[in-house]
Amino acid sequence: MSSTATKDTVKQAAESNPEGEGVVVLERIGDGITILRLGAADEGMITLTEQRLDSIDRAADQLAQDDTLRGVVVTGPGPGMFAAGADIRMIENVATPQEGAEGAARGRSIFGKLGALKVPVVAAVDGPCLGGALELCLALDYRIAADNAGTQIGLPEVKLGIVPGFGGTQRLTRLVGLPKALDMILQGKILRAKPAWKRGVVDRIVPAEKLLAIAIETVREFADKGSKGPTRKLRGMDRWLTHSPLRAIVERKVRKTLSAGQARFYEAPKRALELCLDAVRLPVERGFEREASVTGDLIVSKTCKGLLNLYFLTERSKRLGKSDDARSIDRALVLGGGVMGAGIAGSMVNKGILVRLCDLLPENLLGAKKRLQKTLDKKLRRRHLKKHEARAVQDRLAVSSEWGLLAQTDMLLEAVPEVLDLKRKIFAEAVERGLSDDAIIATNTSSLSIDAMSEGLPNRERVVGVHFFNPPEKMPLVEVIRGSHTSDAAVATACKLAVRLGKFPVVVKDCAGFLVNRCLAPYMNEAARLMVEGNSPEFIDQVMLDFGFPMGPARLLDEVGYDVANKVSEVLAEAFTDRMTPSPFFAAMVEAGCLGMKKDGGLYDKSGDKAGPGRAVLTALRSTRGGVDRLATRSEVHQRLVYPMIAEAYRILEEGLVNSAEDLDLGLVFGIGFPPFTGGITKYAEREGIDIVVEALTAMAEQHGNRFAPPRSLVEQRD
Amino acid sequence: MSRSKQDTLAIIAGCRTPFARAGTDLKRASAADLASHVFREVLDRSAIDPASIDEVILGCGGPDAGEANVARVAALRAGIPEAVPAVTVMRNCASGMEALFAAEMRLRAGEGDVFVVGGAESMSNFPLMFNRRATDWFASLARARSLPQRLSRIAAFRPGFLKPRVAILEGLRDPISGLIMGQTAENVARRFGISRAEQDEFALESHHRATGALERGRFADEIAPVPVAPKFDRFITDDNGIRKEQNAEALAKLRPVFDKKNGDVTVGNSCQVTDGAAAMLVMSEARAEEFGLEPLALVRGHSRAALDPAYMGLGPVHATPDALRRAGIGFDSVDLFEINEAFAAQVLGCVRAFESDEYCREHVGLPGAIGSIDPAKLNVNGGAIALGHPIAATGTRIALTLAEELRAQRKRYGVATLCIGGGQGQAMVLEAA
Repeated sequence: MSSTATKDTVKQAAESNPEGEGVVVLERIGDGITILRLGAADEGMITLTEQRLDSIDRAADQLAQDDTLRGVVVTGPGPGMFAAGADIRMIENVATPQEGAEGAARGRSIFGKLGALKVPVVAAVDGPCLGGALELCLALDYRIAADNAGTQIGLPEVKLGIVPGFGGTQRLTRLVGLPKALDMILQGKILRAKPAWKRGVVDRIVPAEKLLAIAIETVREFADKGSKGPTRKLRGMDRWLTHSPLRAIVERKVRKTLSAGQARFYEAPKRALELCLDAVRLPVERGFEREASVTGDLIVSKTCKGLLNLYFLTERSKRLGKSDDARSIDRALVLGGGVMGAGIAGSMVNKGILVRLCDLLPENLLGAKKRLQKTLDKKLRRRHLKKHEARAVQDRLAVSSEWGLLAQTDMLLEAVPEVLDLKRKIFAEAVERGLSDDAIIATNTSSLSIDAMSEGLPNRERVVGVHFFNPPEKMPLVEVIRGSHTSDAAVATACKLAVRLGKFPVVVKDCAGFLVNRCLAPYMNEAARLMVEGNSPEFIDQVMLDFGFPMGPARLLDEVGYDVANKVSEVLAEAFTDRMTPSPFFAAMVEAGCLGMKKDGGLYDKSGDKAGPGRAVLTALRSTRGGVDRLATRSEVHQRLVYPMIAEAYRILEEGLVNSAEDLDLGLVFGIGFPPFTGGITKYAEREGIDIVVEALTAMAEQHGNRFAPPRSLVEQRD
Repeated sequence: MSRSKQDTLAIIAGCRTPFARAGTDLKRASAADLASHVFREVLDRSAIDPASIDEVILGCGGPDAGEANVARVAALRAGIPEAVPAVTVMRNCASGMEALFAAEMRLRAGEGDVFVVGGAESMSNFPLMFNRRATDWFASLARARSLPQRLSRIAAFRPGFLKPRVAILEGLRDPISGLIMGQTAENVARRFGISRAEQDEFALESHHRATGALERGRFADEIAPVPVAPKFDRFITDDNGIRKEQNAEALAKLRPVFDKKNGDVTVGNSCQVTDGAAAMLVMSEARAEEFGLEPLALVRGHSRAALDPAYMGLGPVHATPDALRRAGIGFDSVDLFEINEAFAAQVLGCVRAFESDEYCREHVGLPGAIGSIDPAKLNVNGGAIALGHPIAATGTRIALTLAEELRAQRKRYGVATLCIGGGQGQAMVLEAA
């Protein structure tokens, strides 16, 4: 059967589909075999909406009554698309656990009905096959996947604070065994075709072009033999670790990781573990029932709502890179080979951009190559890359003290020391060296004004800030800074670059500290004040860890370094005289030569476990207060640290520096690790109650100083 | 003879790696590693649109088995677009000049007018190969299916199978005359009565001139420093074959290697075995004008010639007259010469032959001597005796260094020429732009 014929029939089927959009399409190809397409060819992204689930249900009924049917192939609407899982809005709209459990049970039984047809039912997957879509496949007799980069297979439900609810925990565990199922479900791993095949999630991988033909052939073979498909048995380790008492080893190991660190804030992986164990120890129907009821519990939880919001925020952020104005960056010149420049250059070459990295110090250039090699070696060890692919990445990074000429350069990105004149000189020289008029000039500054930097430069509308966070390879946020002259095209291009590098861009107008550092400053300042008042760094860190931050403020200060903290706090103090006067602690640390982890440690020692040299500085400062300690309670610490951050965030919104509250939510979760399960800082504030926050701020302003004064917009929002 | 700007090849920019003695700084880099580095550098420095390149032409004498068309491998790794074709050319020691010549031919044939050319050689990576008997044994072992068959094949192993064929030694022996290259140099020395002392003196001068050039920073612009993979713990920035402390006594102490009893050619007065690569961006003069690029030099004439393989060192004498004729200039108009220093005896032999009525009449077919070369105009920054001779890279290097020297000295014409193992010579006349 030729592929053009397939397309034509699909089209006809779609056109003649009486049910309209958003439903599955049945297509009889003769010989008793029917293709069930999950959508029409022109639908684009397929999700499992209620409407589509209903239509699968009807299709299953219809197929069950067809006596001439010999087999079914379930596939996507066309090449590159299977289905991206359950419709997120459907999850969002669930109001009660009861409703959630019923919805889950319903989806699972529809898939079960399709899988239980008397004839062989084979899934042919090309493109995303995530969440509910994979659960559908798991209910069928056999799974074939296209072996190309677009095929994504996984159950990422835990990332949204829920568990696979359409039978996934039960069916996957029974199919591939406990260790492999847990590995996929608990981390919400998304696999490409080959790893999915190696784990036994799919039975066969084939070239995308031959997918449908092979799937049809496979169904025919099964039908000829009168079988539903191959019978499977777990073998070797998988069998021992699933069906013997040895599974206690797996269980213990997993429980340990699920109670450590930030994992403790998330309920879904723990419940998923129980469900996977149920799949082994309970009859299948009981397992299904439990899965549905757990899904119902989780789907209405605050964590689920928070994570759903975060998911919407990330999707929104990614769309920023899709503007028509955005240019694609193929060649970049990165200036400054320090941690930031090297890290950014490394991220770029990893995504196929040709980068020339320049620095006057050869050791910085070599450092950049080394740093990149280290990340590549790691990927090589994990077999995420092949040797020649790693070499190609390294090849893309040219390092030199010489800039060369810039006529082919699409973007110049500077990450040199924060000296205004130096940056201006660099921009002028770039123009002299032939940088074309439409090339983007980007700066990774964290404290200088974009407008000041671009002054006097021809075509200054192309100067834009792209503020990466340290370390740039890992930190997911990029603040795209719009100066008052910056063009939409430059902003869009910077966003597109960020998305290409796998980051989430957030657009902020030029102001001191931008979004993240400006919100971080009161938090850090207040932490320093609390410590000078006599509260131990361990205590303060613990309160914030218990709130859900990945790291407490004392440790964060050590990581950032006191030189940087001091410098940033000075810049911000100058801009916001009424509330950002820095704690004397930063300057004292710098004076004592205590710079943090980059040198001999700070409040903690180099190993990070014990008290570091910075404690002496703290003690000295405490004695200047007359040695009178003022110990704070946990909730005082919490309010003094988190509420001013909320206040500052709302001020940024009030001043129109960001477009919406969503920007604040995204920026602080991905910029400083504000607890993701809250859904973001404004969601958290709303959850706490705006009036409570305002009251607490007002009270603290009276007690501790005007720096706590709540912003106008927050006061007005109070009910 | 003057050609139109459309038919004239202009050298726009070029660079090279440092030249490092085989087995030292660049030993882990393959020819493609070296070539992709210089390709990328030359493009970054000149900033032309890489899609406008019509072809990449790279000389390489001994590409690795894993990168047989090393030009293509290096071009893609350097970020040159997939749609730009690439070819590896090979004329032994002149392969790097052959690349320039191939570009010029395409230009005149109307088949493109922008080229990246170069030469690359990793002599450190010339392989050791299994000998014929061992190869046959491996083949029969691979064919053995049953266990007894396999055991019997394994039992057939002989220690002699481990005696390797050394690619570099076989490559440096002329299969027609049966002579090693050094022996052909001995032939030239005897033909013109060039003494050991003269050869050593020439070698010493090569080191002196190269040292001077290095200290003046003459090579700084043409060398693109190489960060050494995979550890990246250092940059290689300088040629490491230049011996600042070289003296006549030390050279005199060396034993001849090619004719141990009666010879004069030593490792000290021969070129070094070296790793390195060089590349250039070349295009028609017309295209350079269109792009607004200022050429370094224009290629005015070009020729190849051939002679008795046993006297291959005299190749330049045979090739130069035609190149000059095509350029339309006389020998006396030449301001600077680059004659590749395969051996001191061979360069000195060329100088003698250029001024010999008898040699030029009988062997080159000219009415009389071509002319004398003032030593002050010859290899002014030293040559392969000091810098080394990474086979295919040298042709590109001497053309580049000549072009730069013409500009530095504000001179007009220069000749770059090489002798070629197998009995050939190649020469090129450049005019400063």
